[in-house]
Parts: sequence; structure tokens; C-alpha cells
Amino acid sequence: MDMMISNLQQQRQITEQLRREAAIKRINVSQAVVDIMKFINEHEQEDCLLVGFSSQKANPFREKSSCTLL
Amino acid sequence: MASDGELKVTSPVESIEALTKEADSLKAKLEEERQKLNDVALSTVADRLEVITYLNIKPRRVLKGHQAKVLCSDWSPDKRHIVSSSQDGKMIIWDAFTTNKEHAVTMPTTWVMACAYAPSGNLVACGGLDNKVTVYPLSLEEDVSTKKKTVGTHTSYMSCCTFPNSDQQILTGSGDSTCALWDVESGQLLQNFHGHAGDVMALDLAPSETGNTFVSGSCDRMVLIWDMRTGQCVQSFEGHQSDINSVKFHPSGDAVATGSDDSTCRLFDLRADKEVAIYSKESIIFGVNSVDFSVSGRLLFAGYNDYTVNVWDSLKCVRVTLLYGHENRVSCLQVSPDGTALSTGSWDYTLRVWA
Repeated sequence: MDMMISNLQQQRQITEQLRREAAIKRINVSQAVVDIMKFINEHEQEDCLLVGFSSQKANPFREKSSCTLL
Repeated sequence: MASDGELKVTSPVESIEALTKEADSLKAKLEEERQKLNDVALSTVADRLEVITYLNIKPRRVLKGHQAKVLCSDWSPDKRHIVSSSQDGKMIIWDAFTTNKEHAVTMPTTWVMACAYAPSGNLVACGGLDNKVTVYPLSLEEDVSTKKKTVGTHTSYMSCCTFPNSDQQILTGSGDSTCALWDVESGQLLQNFHGHAGDVMALDLAPSETGNTFVSGSCDRMVLIWDMRTGQCVQSFEGHQSDINSVKFHPSGDAVATGSDDSTCRLFDLRADKEVAIYSKESIIFGVNSVDFSVSGRLLFAGYNDYTVNVWDSLKCVRVTLLYGHENRVSCLQVSPDGTALSTGSWDYTLRVWA
């Protein structure tokens, strides 16, 4: 009996979840992809791991040079 | 249950059938809708982009001190310190510039599977096989463990944790298949997130500062998107063939990347409501433990069981390069907050910083 009720509750939750997801507004993959590419394009210049550092001095993890000017 | 056969409770059975039928038709409808909008492949659109031919990412630091597998790490907001946790039961705070250990805390458990810095940088949280999330205020004056505080307890191991937006709350994921939001001060459970049918392995917050959305990945192979305020699952993605070990929002906030034991990484777009890319190669047969994006989102870093880090072009869906160095599984990796460095942690007991 308890089992039956819990199964029912479980199935109700699953169905309610699917109802919610079915109601989601969707866009075309082509549109989604264009937006992702636009975001990347706008931020590529700040992406040091992608484009490197303007100079090695800008890299906080550069190798320490053997002598430094104090 | 009454012995009288006539007294059978038939309505719940009928309801289950009706609900199951509705669920099946909704699933079919969902699949049809998603396919209808699947008008082009990501790599096709990205075809006109230039190929990334060269990356100047080198190993810069090795952090040695753990006496067992490194399981998790997190950058401090100051972009300089790293917290790491290990199978040896220790949590270590590192100065990644100098490689010095600033704090080493022994937890009352082994397998400290999760650790995280709070947004202020003055507090860290960690936990694991103890099923708990414990916070440690960081102070240079006194022993960190004297001020420790247990915030929340799950009914199974705590696999991942993060502070959403402030030091006041912690979000955790657990082997008990739930996620939970806790109030740090009172230890009160603010919200519970039920929906996964397997151990939750990873979670990540949407990048927007006002965002109330997070993503979770689980051994049930599902990616779920949650509304933190209501506790409701708002979206779900399937596709992976095995446990999902890592989830990460794209910096745009419109997509999530995943890493799985099925040896693939994938990209799911929230607005198209479907998988839009798969990052895999025939030669890659080992599981993925951790993924993260570079700050623009163009590069996807992934740590594998074959000791390597693969760097993927997230748009062209091709591998750009491999980072070699670790001598065992790469268990965790994370791009620093300003995007200038990548930290990796491994079962070889070390962490490394690449830049």
C-alpha cells in the first residue's frame, strides 16, 4: 500500500516535471550557436590562456628571473 | 490491506497508468520539439572560424605536500591562493605564487572530496566521507581549526560544494542524490533539491551575480538545471552513457559543459534545450573527471584518467593540445578567476599551475 502511494507520488513528480519542461520556450540551435560565438568573440582578447600575455611580465606565474632590480 | 479482494484500491493504479502514459507522450513531444529546432551543427557554424594553431600554456608551479590523492581544489578570489583537499584527510591552503603552504588542516575523515573558497576569500568549506560540510575562517593569527564550524550534514558523502554569491550560504551535492542549500551562520537547511536518481558528483553556479540557477551532474547520467529559490528542477539533459563527474557553466551562462566516465565531454545549450556538441576522439578511452572553460569560453579544459589534460576548441569541437605532467589521474582542474592560469590536481599527490 505504502509502496503504491510512493510509486504514485513518484510518477506524479516525473509527469509534472515533464509538463514543466515541455512548456519551456526553445530557440533554434543555429541561433543559440551564433550567440555563443558572439560572446566568445567579444571576450577572446581578455582570454590569456587562449591568446597569451601581451608580455611575459603580465603573466603572474612567469618564471622568476635569476636577478631582479630592487 | 483488507483480505477482501473487492476492496482493492484501483484508482492509484489507474492514475499511475494515466500519469505514465502522459509522461511517455510528453517525452516523445519533447524529443520532437528539440529535433525540430536542431537545424545545424555547432561545428558547422564554427567552420568559418580560424583554427587555433598554438597555445603557449606551460607548467609553472608544482604544489607538493599532500600525502595522498588530491581530490578537489578551488582558486581564491585573490587569484593567488588555492585550497585543495585530499584522500589523506587534509585541506591545504597554498600560496600558488611561492608554492608555500599557508595552512594545513587535518579533517576528522579521509577522502575530503570537496573544498571551496568563499567569495570574500576569508572562509573555506570542505567535506567528504564525513557527510558534512565544515567551514574554516582563515586567519593567520591562530590555528584555523579552532574556529571551524559544521554547517550541514547529508546522509551520504559530500561530493561537491560552492558558495553562491556570498559567504552566508553554501550549496552542496551529495552521494545521497540530493543537493542542499545551507545557511552558514545557523546551519539551517534552506532548500533541498530532489530529482537525481544517483549520486550527485558536481555542481556549478550560473555566472550571473544575481543568478539563482545552478547545474548538477550525477551518476544517473543526468544534467539538471535548478532554480535555487524554489528548489525546482527547471531543465534536464540526458546523453551521457556513464557517470557525470563534472559540470561547468559556459561563461555566457547559456550553456553547460560536462565531463563523464563515458570518456566524452559535452555541451548542452539551455535555450536550445539540447546537447549541441560532443568532445571526443576514438583514441580517448578514459573517463573525464573535471572540466572548465577559459574566460571567453573558447577553450574547454578537461582532466582525464589517462593522466592528461585535453584542451578542446569548444566551437570547432577539435582537440587543440594536450598538457602532460601529472603522473596519475587528473582529478580536478580550474581556471583562475581572471583566466590567467589553470590549476590541476591529481592522484599523483600534487597540484600544478599552468599559464
